[in-house]
Amino acid sequence: MKVKVVTRILEANDRIAEENRKRFREHNVLVINLMSAPGAGKTTLLEKTIRALDGALKIGVIEGDIAGTDDAERISGTGVPVVQINTGGACHLDANMISEVLPDVPLGELDVLIIENVGNLVCPAEFKVGEDMKVMLLSVTEGHDKPLKYPLMFRESSVMILNKIDLLDRLDVDIDKIRKDALSLNPSIKIFEVSGKTGEGISAWAEWLRGQKLP
Amino acid sequence: MHEASIVLSLLDTLSDRCRQEGYRSIESVRLRIGMASGILPEAVTFAFEAAKHDTLAENAELVLDIVPLGGFCNSCRNDFEVSETYVLNCPLCGSDSFTIRKGYELDIVEMEVN
Repeated sequence: MKVKVVTRILEANDRIAEENRKRFREHNVLVINLMSAPGAGKTTLLEKTIRALDGALKIGVIEGDIAGTDDAERISGTGVPVVQINTGGACHLDANMISEVLPDVPLGELDVLIIENVGNLVCPAEFKVGEDMKVMLLSVTEGHDKPLKYPLMFRESSVMILNKIDLLDRLDVDIDKIRKDALSLNPSIKIFEVSGKTGEGISAWAEWLRGQKLP
Repeated sequence: MHEASIVLSLLDTLSDRCRQEGYRSIESVRLRIGMASGILPEAVTFAFEAAKHDTLAENAELVLDIVPLGGFCNSCRNDFEVSETYVLNCPLCGSDSFTIRKGYELDIVEMEVN
Protein backbone atom coordinates (compact mmCIF):
# COMPACT_ATOMS: atom_id res chain seq x y z
CA MET A 1 0.00 0.00 0.00
CA LYS A 2 1.32 3.44 -0.88
CA VAL A 3 0.94 6.19 1.68
CA LYS A 4 1.40 9.86 0.86
CA VAL A 5 3.63 11.42 3.48
CA VAL A 6 4.10 14.97 2.32
CA THR A 7 6.38 16.55 4.90
CA ARG A 8 9.91 17.82 5.38
CA ILE A 9 12.58 15.16 5.84
CA LEU A 10 13.69 17.15 8.88
CA GLU A 11 10.20 17.27 10.37
CA ALA A 12 11.39 15.48 13.54
CA ASN A 13 14.03 18.19 14.07
CA ASP A 14 11.76 21.05 13.01
CA ARG A 15 9.09 19.98 15.49
CA ILE A 16 11.52 20.17 18.41
CA ALA A 17 12.87 23.49 17.08
CA GLU A 18 9.33 24.85 17.17
CA GLU A 19 8.92 23.70 20.80
CA ASN A 20 12.20 25.46 21.68
CA ARG A 21 10.95 28.56 19.94
CA LYS A 22 7.76 28.58 21.98
CA ARG A 23 9.80 28.47 25.18
CA PHE A 24 11.97 31.34 23.97
CA ARG A 25 8.82 33.35 23.16
CA GLU A 26 7.34 32.68 26.60
CA HIS A 27 10.40 34.35 28.10
CA ASN A 28 10.65 37.09 25.45
CA VAL A 29 14.20 36.06 24.57
CA LEU A 30 15.63 36.84 21.13
CA VAL A 31 17.63 33.83 19.92
CA ILE A 32 20.52 33.97 17.49
CA ASN A 33 22.14 30.97 15.83
CA LEU A 34 25.77 32.03 15.23
CA MET A 35 27.56 30.02 12.57
CA SER A 36 30.93 30.07 10.82
CA ALA A 37 33.84 27.90 9.73
CA PRO A 38 36.27 26.82 12.48
CA GLY A 39 38.62 29.63 13.47
CA ALA A 40 36.61 32.47 11.94
CA GLY A 41 36.43 34.14 15.34
CA LYS A 42 32.97 33.38 16.75
CA THR A 43 34.04 33.20 20.38
CA THR A 44 36.19 36.33 20.14
CA LEU A 45 33.32 38.18 18.47
CA LEU A 46 31.04 37.12 21.33
CA GLU A 47 33.50 38.21 24.01
CA LYS A 48 33.92 41.62 22.35
CA THR A 49 30.20 42.02 21.73
CA ILE A 50 29.31 41.20 25.34
CA ARG A 51 31.91 43.69 26.59
CA ALA A 52 30.78 46.38 24.10
CA LEU A 53 27.17 46.02 25.28
CA ASP A 54 28.35 46.35 28.86
CA GLY A 55 25.12 45.03 30.35
CA ALA A 56 22.79 47.00 28.03
CA LEU A 57 21.44 43.61 26.92
CA LYS A 58 21.29 40.61 29.21
CA ILE A 59 23.00 37.95 27.13
CA GLY A 60 23.29 34.22 27.61
CA VAL A 61 25.35 31.83 25.50
CA ILE A 62 25.12 28.18 24.50
CA GLU A 63 28.48 26.95 23.23
CA GLY A 64 28.45 24.09 20.72
CA ASP A 65 31.70 22.23 20.18
CA ILE A 66 32.62 18.71 19.20
CA ALA A 67 34.74 18.48 22.36
CA GLY A 68 36.22 20.62 25.10
CA THR A 69 35.11 23.55 27.25
CA ASP A 70 37.66 26.22 26.24
CA ASP A 71 35.05 28.41 24.56
CA ALA A 72 32.61 28.21 27.46
CA GLU A 73 35.40 29.19 29.87
CA ARG A 74 36.26 32.21 27.72
CA ILE A 75 32.62 33.34 27.60
CA SER A 76 32.27 32.70 31.32
CA GLY A 77 35.11 35.18 31.83
CA THR A 78 32.83 37.95 30.55
CA GLY A 79 30.38 37.25 33.38
CA VAL A 80 27.40 36.06 31.34
CA PRO A 81 25.71 32.68 31.85
CA VAL A 82 27.03 30.01 29.49
CA VAL A 83 26.21 26.36 28.87
CA GLN A 84 28.53 24.06 26.95
CA ILE A 85 27.28 21.36 24.59
CA ASN A 86 29.77 18.76 23.39
CA THR A 87 28.34 17.06 20.34
CA GLY A 88 30.80 14.17 20.60
CA GLY A 89 31.48 14.16 16.88
CA ALA A 90 28.37 15.65 15.30
CA CYS A 91 29.27 18.51 12.96
CA HIS A 92 26.34 20.75 13.94
CA LEU A 93 23.86 21.46 16.72
CA ASP A 94 20.33 20.19 16.28
CA ALA A 95 17.09 21.18 17.98
CA ASN A 96 17.15 18.25 20.41
CA MET A 97 20.62 19.10 21.72
CA ILE A 98 19.37 22.62 22.51
CA SER A 99 16.17 21.30 24.08
CA GLU A 100 18.21 19.07 26.42
CA VAL A 101 20.27 21.94 27.86
CA LEU A 102 17.44 24.50 28.14
CA PRO A 103 16.79 23.64 31.82
CA ASP A 104 20.31 24.94 32.49
CA VAL A 105 19.76 28.23 30.65
CA PRO A 106 18.26 31.02 32.82
CA LEU A 107 15.83 32.17 30.11
CA GLY A 108 13.88 34.35 32.56
CA GLU A 109 16.94 36.54 33.10
CA LEU A 110 17.89 37.04 29.43
CA ASP A 111 17.15 39.46 26.59
CA VAL A 112 19.23 37.61 24.02
CA LEU A 113 20.43 34.01 23.81
CA ILE A 114 23.29 33.41 21.40
CA ILE A 115 23.84 29.83 20.29
CA GLU A 116 27.39 29.43 19.02
CA ASN A 117 27.18 26.53 16.61
CA VAL A 118 29.91 24.01 15.82
CA GLY A 119 32.51 25.52 13.48
CA ASN A 120 31.38 24.37 10.04
CA LEU A 121 30.23 26.31 6.98
CA VAL A 122 27.99 23.52 5.66
CA CYS A 123 25.86 21.45 8.04
CA PRO A 124 24.62 23.95 10.66
CA ALA A 125 22.70 25.86 7.96
CA GLU A 126 20.39 22.88 7.51
CA PHE A 127 19.23 22.38 11.11
CA LYS A 128 16.84 24.79 12.80
CA VAL A 129 17.31 24.97 16.56
CA GLY A 130 14.44 27.37 17.31
CA GLU A 131 16.31 30.57 16.53
CA ASP A 132 14.84 33.91 15.43
CA MET A 133 17.74 34.58 13.11
CA LYS A 134 20.88 33.04 11.76
CA VAL A 135 24.01 35.17 11.89
CA MET A 136 27.10 34.00 10.04
CA LEU A 137 30.66 35.07 10.49
CA LEU A 138 33.17 34.90 7.65
CA SER A 139 36.78 35.88 8.25
CA VAL A 140 38.38 37.55 5.25
CA THR A 141 41.33 35.14 5.55
CA GLU A 142 39.02 32.37 4.34
CA GLY A 143 39.01 33.88 0.83
CA HIS A 144 36.49 35.52 -1.46
CA ASP A 145 35.32 32.26 -3.06
CA LYS A 146 33.34 31.16 -0.01
CA PRO A 147 29.84 32.51 -0.84
CA LEU A 148 29.70 30.52 -4.07
CA LYS A 149 31.27 27.42 -2.52
CA TYR A 150 28.90 27.33 0.46
CA PRO A 151 25.79 29.07 -0.90
CA LEU A 152 23.26 27.62 1.55
CA MET A 153 24.85 29.25 4.60
CA PHE A 154 24.79 32.66 2.90
CA ARG A 155 21.23 32.18 1.74
CA GLU A 156 19.94 31.16 5.16
CA SER A 157 21.64 33.90 7.18
CA SER A 158 20.03 37.25 8.00
CA VAL A 159 23.39 38.79 8.85
CA MET A 160 26.94 38.28 7.60
CA ILE A 161 29.75 39.63 9.75
CA LEU A 162 33.10 39.91 7.96
CA ASN A 163 35.85 39.46 10.54
CA LYS A 164 39.62 40.07 10.62
CA ILE A 165 39.42 43.17 8.42
CA ASP A 166 42.59 44.44 10.14
CA LEU A 167 44.43 41.90 7.94
CA LEU A 168 43.01 43.13 4.62
CA ASP A 169 46.16 45.02 3.55
CA ARG A 170 48.19 41.80 3.81
CA LEU A 171 45.78 39.61 1.88
CA ASP A 172 44.85 39.25 -1.77
CA VAL A 173 41.23 38.74 -0.82
CA ASP A 174 38.60 40.74 -2.76
CA ILE A 175 36.14 41.84 -0.08
CA ASP A 176 33.89 43.51 -2.68
CA LYS A 177 33.42 40.13 -4.34
CA ILE A 178 32.42 38.58 -1.00
CA ARG A 179 29.82 41.33 -0.51
CA LYS A 180 28.55 41.14 -4.09
CA ASP A 181 28.23 37.33 -4.20
CA ALA A 182 26.61 37.19 -0.76
CA LEU A 183 24.06 39.82 -1.82
CA SER A 184 23.41 37.97 -5.08
CA LEU A 185 22.62 34.81 -3.13
CA ASN A 186 20.65 36.70 -0.49
CA PRO A 187 19.65 40.30 -1.38
CA SER A 188 18.40 41.03 2.14
CA ILE A 189 21.53 39.91 4.01
CA LYS A 190 22.82 42.61 6.39
CA ILE A 191 26.62 42.99 6.31
CA PHE A 192 28.97 44.20 9.05
CA GLU A 193 32.75 44.48 8.90
CA VAL A 194 34.66 43.98 12.12
CA SER A 195 38.01 43.14 13.61
CA GLY A 196 37.88 40.94 16.68
CA LYS A 197 41.50 41.88 17.32
CA THR A 198 41.34 45.68 17.18
CA GLY A 199 37.65 46.01 18.04
CA GLU A 200 36.92 48.00 14.87
CA GLY A 201 33.26 47.76 13.84
CA ILE A 202 32.18 45.84 16.95
CA SER A 203 30.18 48.75 18.37
CA ALA A 204 28.15 49.15 15.13
CA TRP A 205 27.22 45.46 15.21
CA ALA A 206 26.49 45.57 18.96
CA GLU A 207 24.27 48.63 18.53
CA TRP A 208 22.39 46.95 15.71
CA LEU A 209 21.86 43.90 17.90
CA ARG A 210 20.61 46.13 20.68
CA GLY A 211 18.03 47.61 18.31
CA GLN A 212 16.57 44.23 17.31
CA LYS A 213 12.98 43.62 18.32
CA LEU A 214 11.38 40.29 19.04
CA PRO A 215 9.38 38.98 16.08
CA MET B 1 28.66 15.07 6.32
CA HIS B 2 25.26 15.92 7.82
CA GLU B 3 23.38 13.47 5.59
CA ALA B 4 23.57 10.85 8.36
CA SER B 5 21.70 13.17 10.77
CA ILE B 6 19.16 13.92 8.07
CA VAL B 7 18.55 10.22 7.48
CA LEU B 8 18.13 9.60 11.22
CA SER B 9 15.53 12.38 11.33
CA LEU B 10 13.83 10.80 8.30
CA LEU B 11 13.70 7.36 9.97
CA ASP B 12 12.25 8.93 13.15
CA THR B 13 9.53 10.68 11.18
CA LEU B 14 8.62 7.54 9.19
CA SER B 15 8.66 5.25 12.24
CA ASP B 16 6.41 7.66 14.18
CA ARG B 17 3.98 7.70 11.27
CA CYS B 18 3.96 3.89 11.05
CA ARG B 19 3.32 3.49 14.77
CA GLN B 20 0.45 6.00 14.66
CA GLU B 21 -1.19 4.28 11.72
CA GLY B 22 -0.36 0.70 12.72
CA TYR B 23 1.86 -0.21 9.74
CA ARG B 24 4.30 -3.06 10.34
CA SER B 25 7.04 -2.37 7.83
CA ILE B 26 8.19 0.04 5.14
CA GLU B 27 8.86 -1.37 1.67
CA SER B 28 10.03 1.82 -0.02
CA VAL B 29 10.44 5.52 0.60
CA ARG B 30 10.38 8.29 -1.99
CA LEU B 31 12.15 11.58 -1.25
CA ARG B 32 12.33 14.83 -3.19
CA ILE B 33 15.73 16.52 -2.95
CA GLY B 34 16.51 19.91 -4.48
CA MET B 35 19.91 20.45 -6.05
CA ALA B 36 20.43 23.60 -3.97
CA SER B 37 19.45 21.93 -0.69
CA GLY B 38 23.06 21.26 0.28
CA ILE B 39 22.45 17.51 0.32
CA LEU B 40 24.44 14.96 -1.65
CA PRO B 41 22.06 12.25 -2.93
CA GLU B 42 24.77 9.55 -2.86
CA ALA B 43 25.53 10.36 0.77
CA VAL B 44 21.81 10.12 1.65
CA THR B 45 21.61 6.69 0.01
CA PHE B 46 24.76 5.53 1.78
CA ALA B 47 23.53 6.76 5.17
CA PHE B 48 20.08 5.22 4.65
CA GLU B 49 21.54 1.79 3.87
CA ALA B 50 23.67 2.02 7.02
CA ALA B 51 20.96 3.34 9.35
CA LYS B 52 17.91 1.34 8.30
CA HIS B 53 18.87 -1.89 10.12
CA ASP B 54 16.70 -2.73 13.12
CA THR B 55 14.08 -0.18 12.06
CA LEU B 56 10.72 -0.61 10.36
CA ALA B 57 12.53 0.40 7.16
CA GLU B 58 14.99 -2.51 7.40
CA ASN B 59 14.05 -3.85 3.96
CA ALA B 60 13.06 -0.54 2.42
CA GLU B 61 14.23 0.69 -0.92
CA LEU B 62 15.09 4.40 -1.13
CA VAL B 63 13.98 6.32 -4.22
CA LEU B 64 15.26 9.86 -4.77
CA ASP B 65 13.62 12.40 -7.07
CA ILE B 66 16.21 15.10 -7.76
CA VAL B 67 14.79 18.58 -8.43
CA PRO B 68 16.89 21.03 -10.47
CA LEU B 69 17.24 24.61 -9.31
CA GLY B 70 14.59 26.64 -11.10
CA GLY B 71 13.02 30.06 -11.12
CA PHE B 72 11.23 32.76 -13.02
CA CYS B 73 13.15 35.65 -14.58
CA ASN B 74 11.60 39.05 -13.88
CA SER B 75 13.31 40.55 -16.95
CA CYS B 76 12.78 38.09 -19.82
CA ARG B 77 9.66 36.64 -18.14
CA ASN B 78 10.72 33.02 -18.74
CA ASP B 79 10.93 30.03 -16.43
CA PHE B 80 14.41 28.55 -16.22
CA GLU B 81 16.13 25.46 -14.78
CA VAL B 82 19.79 24.79 -14.07
CA SER B 83 21.65 21.76 -12.73
CA GLU B 84 23.64 23.86 -10.27
CA THR B 85 23.66 24.44 -6.53
CA TYR B 86 23.16 28.20 -6.95
CA VAL B 87 22.26 30.73 -9.63
CA LEU B 88 23.39 34.38 -9.78
CA ASN B 89 21.96 35.36 -13.16
CA CYS B 90 19.10 34.24 -15.37
CA PRO B 91 20.68 31.59 -17.66
CA LEU B 92 18.53 32.84 -20.54
CA CYS B 93 19.10 36.61 -20.50
CA GLY B 94 21.68 37.24 -17.79
CA SER B 95 19.45 39.41 -15.60
CA ASP B 96 20.03 39.29 -11.85
CA SER B 97 16.37 39.91 -11.11
CA PHE B 98 14.66 36.55 -10.70
CA THR B 99 12.62 34.54 -8.25
CA ILE B 100 13.73 31.06 -7.17
CA ARG B 101 10.82 28.65 -7.31
CA LYS B 102 12.38 25.26 -6.69
CA GLY B 103 15.61 23.49 -5.86
CA TYR B 104 15.64 23.70 -2.04
CA GLU B 105 13.35 20.71 -1.43
CA LEU B 106 14.10 18.22 1.33
CA ASP B 107 10.77 16.45 1.36
CA ILE B 108 9.30 13.05 2.00
CA VAL B 109 6.83 12.30 -0.81
CA GLU B 110 5.44 8.86 -0.02
CA MET B 111 6.21 5.46 1.38
CA GLU B 112 5.02 1.94 0.61
CA VAL B 113 4.00 0.10 3.76
CA ASN B 114 2.57 -3.18 5.02
